[in-house]
Amino acid sequence: MKPGKRQFRYETLESLRMAIFQIGANKTRSFLTALGVIIGIVSITMMGTAINGIDLGFEKSLAMIGYDVIYVQKSPWSTMGQWWRFRNRPDLKTRYAEQINRIISTNPQSELLLAVPQISTYQASAKYRDRILEQIFALGTNGDYPRTASGSLTTGRFFTPGESAGDEMVCVIGDDVSSGLFPNESALGKTIQLKNSKVRVIGIYKKQGKFLGLFSFDNQVVMPVGTFEKIYGKEMFVTIRVKIRDEKQVVPAKEELLGIMRKIRRLPPGKEEDFSINEQKAFKSQLDPIKNGIAMAGIFITGMSLFVGAIGIMNITFVSVKERTKEIGLRKALGARRRTILLQFLIESVMICLIGGIVGLVTAFSITMAIETFMPEFPVRFSPVLVLASLAVSVTTGVFSGLAPAVTASRLDPADSLRYE
Amino acid sequence: MMKTTKGPAVIIMKELCKFYEMGEEVVRALDSIDLDFMLNDYAAIMGPSGSGKSTLMNIIGCLDTPTSGRYELNGQNVADLNDDALAVIRNREIGFVFQTFNLLPRLNCLRNVELPLIYAGVGPEEREERAAEALKQVGLGDRIKHRPSELSGGQIQRVAIARALVNKPSIILADEPTGNLDTATSHDIMEIFGKLSDAGNTIILITHEEDIARFTRRIIRLRDGKIESDSRR
Repeated sequence: MKPGKRQFRYETLESLRMAIFQIGANKTRSFLTALGVIIGIVSITMMGTAINGIDLGFEKSLAMIGYDVIYVQKSPWSTMGQWWRFRNRPDLKTRYAEQINRIISTNPQSELLLAVPQISTYQASAKYRDRILEQIFALGTNGDYPRTASGSLTTGRFFTPGESAGDEMVCVIGDDVSSGLFPNESALGKTIQLKNSKVRVIGIYKKQGKFLGLFSFDNQVVMPVGTFEKIYGKEMFVTIRVKIRDEKQVVPAKEELLGIMRKIRRLPPGKEEDFSINEQKAFKSQLDPIKNGIAMAGIFITGMSLFVGAIGIMNITFVSVKERTKEIGLRKALGARRRTILLQFLIESVMICLIGGIVGLVTAFSITMAIETFMPEFPVRFSPVLVLASLAVSVTTGVFSGLAPAVTASRLDPADSLRYE
Repeated sequence: MMKTTKGPAVIIMKELCKFYEMGEEVVRALDSIDLDFMLNDYAAIMGPSGSGKSTLMNIIGCLDTPTSGRYELNGQNVADLNDDALAVIRNREIGFVFQTFNLLPRLNCLRNVELPLIYAGVGPEEREERAAEALKQVGLGDRIKHRPSELSGGQIQRVAIARALVNKPSIILADEPTGNLDTATSHDIMEIFGKLSDAGNTIILITHEEDIARFTRRIIRLRDGKIESDSRR
């Protein structure tokens, strides 16, 4: 090791030791100084935790729709507020699924695997004896539906292609429907009433939770398309669910499906589509601005609190420099160079900030744990990136707030400082 | 015991001036000083307050630079070095002893004495060894783990002397080293300086007490920024 380097190391170690001494000797002052950083770091990490939580909840919801399923519908998801723009489009037909499958089967290079029809209404109600559930989600589909949808069954089975083709009066119900109509008994094998028809329950879904906190898959009743049409008529909302080969190839898959749908709809080239192809990304593009808004507000607030904290530290470091003028003079007389003194005070302020940061992290972590324990519904998540980011912010704050006082200290005149009382 | 032989010059000052501007007025704190110190000199700088002795001591100690003139320390002209270069010179060439002792109260004796070695880049083991050795030299070999608050004034000043010695400087520069001590303790301290001088150290002390100056072999008197007398014994 070069002598200069070695000297630097010894000086740094000495500065570290002095910083620990100094902080230990002024515990109350150090704590009050660090408080600004503690508050800043707690708010940073809580904000990050909340954003992570939103992401996590969102991912969970998206997994329900499926990353490898795209949806042909009358209107796009991303402009849900402007339904009137799309209401004059012709309705989709459930038979499109069959037509799509036929076209896929002739193309070995197809990115599409399987199309499944879906006809649905949110306005259904289900009845068992004197219990009635309103606002349930009735859905007609075929035996391939489970391949395009999340959720497994707790008991029973899904209906077979045969049952589907035969329009049998069978259904698979969500957990909320099951527990709502049959609080004390198993729903399996029971016959429930949908409008004026009786349908037998042959399977029950596991609880899935809410999608984006808005819409639940747990209050659905899934039945064959023909059965649905017998009960609710054909004039309901149709979706073609299309499973794709590779979730990374969403774009070409959408392109391909677009071509197929245009062919089915017999749209001449140049004419605008009268249908939409939707995928989970559309939700993401809706959620991102909200998330970014929260993040921006969070960064601003935490930035302010850290700034105030930094000014506090700067102030106290200036006081500390003043108080220790004589010590600075002595150290200079004994051979301390400017950078040595600079480093000593910088290390001190960085250390205060770092301690503040660590205390802040521990506090934030405890709060997160408490939320997870007492409010499991509330999405929060702590991450290692947050820890690193907080520590980096602490160190930066320390350097920022310590620099001016440290430079002042390093430039003190040794002769004057020694005489200072 | 009295040595009169002259060694090579450690310090050479030529036409050294230090002026301060106080508003309109220029104060000539040091006015064209010519002064040499030889190896193993044991000198006292005396003078009434305002005579320029503190200014001279600051310049000898490289805590300050002259307005004009030449100051050579160990053959090196240090009159126009920058802050950091002066820090290095102070660390290597000068051992300071102050009137107010200036030990760091949070550190024990050993750590206090080690300080100059840290800035010199000496490793931890060697540092401890040399600091302990220096403390032994001033008769405090059994007090190395004590804090300054646990020592008497005379003992504290001896720790400070050990600190001044530890990096084997060219000169030991003591500014009123007995100013805060009673007579008996002052004489103890002066005895230590005497021993250090006998061991070959170059010692310059600043004092206004004739009693203390009498321990040295050379007395330099300043008045109004000029040398009034310079007598060797």
